Amino acid sequence: MPYLSLAQTPTDELMMSKGDICFLFNFEYGQFDQYWEGETLRKNGTIAKVQRRTSMVMAAYGITKRLNAYVGLPYVSTNSTTPNGGKFAGTSGIQDLTIGLKYEVIRRKGANGEWMGFGSVTYSTPVSNYLSDYQPYSLGIGAPQITWRGVVEYEWNAGFYLRGNGGYIWKGYTEVEREYYYNDGSYFTSWMDVPSAWTYEAVVGKWFMNKSLKAEVSYNSSRSTSGDDIRAYNSPQPTNRVDMDRIGIFAQYFFQKPKGLGLVASYSRVIQGRNAPEMAAFSAGITYQFGLFSPKN
Amino acid sequence: MLVSMIRCNMDLATELEFKSYEFSGIDQDAGTWKPILIASGSAIAVDKPAAANSDQFLAEVAGVKSRIAAMTSDEKKNVEHWTNNAVLRWNEVALGLIAKYNLIPGPNVDESYTLPNPANPAGPPAFPFAHPPYASRALAYLSVAQYDGLISAWHYKFQFQRPAPYEVDSDIPHSYITNNLPSYPSEGAVLATVSRKILTAMFPLEADYLLELEQQHLGSLIMAGENVPSDLEAGQKIGEEIATIALARAANDGMKNAQAPKAISDSLRAAAFERFGWQWENLESPVRPVGLTPLFGKVKMWSVANVEDTRPEVPPALGSELLEKDIKILKDYAKNVTQERRRIANFWQDGLGTYTPPGHWNDIAGEFILKYRFNSIRTARVFAYLNMALMDGGISCWDTKYYYYYPRPIQLINNFETITGTPNFPSYTSGHSVFSAAAAEVLSYIFPEEGNKFREWAEEAAMSRVYGGIHWTFDATVGADQGRDVAQYTIDIAIKDGADN
Repeated sequence: MPYLSLAQTPTDELMMSKGDICFLFNFEYGQFDQYWEGETLRKNGTIAKVQRRTSMVMAAYGITKRLNAYVGLPYVSTNSTTPNGGKFAGTSGIQDLTIGLKYEVIRRKGANGEWMGFGSVTYSTPVSNYLSDYQPYSLGIGAPQITWRGVVEYEWNAGFYLRGNGGYIWKGYTEVEREYYYNDGSYFTSWMDVPSAWTYEAVVGKWFMNKSLKAEVSYNSSRSTSGDDIRAYNSPQPTNRVDMDRIGIFAQYFFQKPKGLGLVASYSRVIQGRNAPEMAAFSAGITYQFGLFSPKN
Repeated sequence: MLVSMIRCNMDLATELEFKSYEFSGIDQDAGTWKPILIASGSAIAVDKPAAANSDQFLAEVAGVKSRIAAMTSDEKKNVEHWTNNAVLRWNEVALGLIAKYNLIPGPNVDESYTLPNPANPAGPPAFPFAHPPYASRALAYLSVAQYDGLISAWHYKFQFQRPAPYEVDSDIPHSYITNNLPSYPSEGAVLATVSRKILTAMFPLEADYLLELEQQHLGSLIMAGENVPSDLEAGQKIGEEIATIALARAANDGMKNAQAPKAISDSLRAAAFERFGWQWENLESPVRPVGLTPLFGKVKMWSVANVEDTRPEVPPALGSELLEKDIKILKDYAKNVTQERRRIANFWQDGLGTYTPPGHWNDIAGEFILKYRFNSIRTARVFAYLNMALMDGGISCWDTKYYYYYPRPIQLINNFETITGTPNFPSYTSGHSVFSAAAAEVLSYIFPEEGNKFREWAEEAAMSRVYGGIHWTFDATVGADQGRDVAQYTIDIAIKDGADN
């Protein structure tokens, strides 16, 4: 079951000034004890509750004030709680390296507020030999991914804002360690086609404390463009059609002193899905930005 | 890894990729080979066909000619798909159905389990659960019936020597490489009908799909220029009759009792505990009350008269030095999962949702059948003996499993975790080891130049279960010996069937 990263940066409206670097150290804990097998939500005593921890370091850099670059690298560990009926070993390791660019396409100030529009593209690829075909414990989907995304935000002078983004994630092929699998028919190859997906997100947020704190609620959804269903009481596999709808809350705080330091925290929950875990996840992180700190947009 | 290429579009193979080819020989004398289920190639009666110069036959040829002239693109695709060695294609159909039905029934909401029921195949759960013993048996009946059917076809082909349409009328295009096989009865029609009938019995919910495949295959034989309708009728008659004979054996081979009720399974467990002081337990959640097919060991074997002749010695006692040593090895493998051991564990896993280890060895056989350009009857012979040995190996292994009822590593090692799913049956001996060693021996007999490779693979397959954390090393090594021993009974039959001269 692939998981969307909670790294907000390529999807949000914050841009950094030229020459600034910002680091994010983030920890996320997620768990589920039910998942959708096809469209049916179920428990499974074989895996009991599955836990997943992601530690991530991410850096953003202002190439110009309208063009930012990103790089991120997560370390993931997974396991089932005991007791469970499957006695499967969890797994851990470095997952996928992500690099990305975000460009500010438009920024237009009016009497009541400001319009902003961004475009971003990210590329990610596995950087360790983790096995994507070891679900639900796999670290990731084991395939290169390219995401194109558009972001539009309107912020009122009072600090409220609405943001929407839509993206397409092209997901490539993952090589597994067997030469036969079933995907609505026989496949005599060790390569699996991981379904690509459309993603959408709507965010309502507000700035507080003279733009030191922002808080948002979000709804996002992801829809695979192809893929098969998890078969009855069987393991998921990377070829599955994974859909999910998720709600989340997110807060980010920028310290006045020491300047450049910030905190992020979030909680999210999958509320509807297909071949997806009913994952609930909490994350917290620290950001630190070098040079001139400018929380103004 | 970083520079791993982004491939936007890959062709993922959904079948063995080959086109019609020139056979290494056509085995004119194959009608005299000794079949498995019937006395000889002449045991099934086939009418004498209309002569090659008769009006009746020439009218059939003219009909074929006009049908080919009106061939649709779908029909052309069918011709390309089925090729001139359809044994491989029907074997693939079987592998796909095994993978489709190899799903273990999950628990009900009240934590009970419902078993698949052939009287109500739609279920849920659907019938069958195509686990490895079921798969080995489905493949054995399919392959044996195909082989016997083709021996019958060859007997009459070379008795009647009726030419194929493309030989009678040079304006009729032949879609395949020409091998000069007489056309009556059609070997393709034998295969289409016998395969449809056996597989329908094994996978009853697939009746419509299989009927459609049979019709497509039969149609391709006309469109390829290989056969006239009366060739097909004679071939289908052989297919129907040999399938009926094979299914009569299947109906009474003991498989229907293999998934024994709890009382019987408990008595086997108690007997083992009484004799040896141990008993395997299912540790799933919720616990499965009965292991997989406790009485598969009582199913009628193909080549072995008494299964107990192939039952290995008693495994190491609890607390013995041998077992303690193995516990250390298992713990070490679990703690140090190397890339190579992980790859081997996964490569040979062939677990739920796949074509099982017997299916994997059929897949392997296919490659070498093509490499050595076997014709269809030699291909059927490979699969017949391969799958007889696989099924006999499975029966012998299951007899051993439920006689000794030996515990799995997760039962004897505290907090032990595995990278492979622990199956619902006792540990000793390993099914993968027996299946793989048996298959490797039969394939080494048929392709002696490749023997080292097959035996290395079988050893790797056996060890894959130890690396996965679900078998003891002695399950694997003793199982491999057992597989070789069982296979020899089938090889002894193969050596004397007349094909090997």
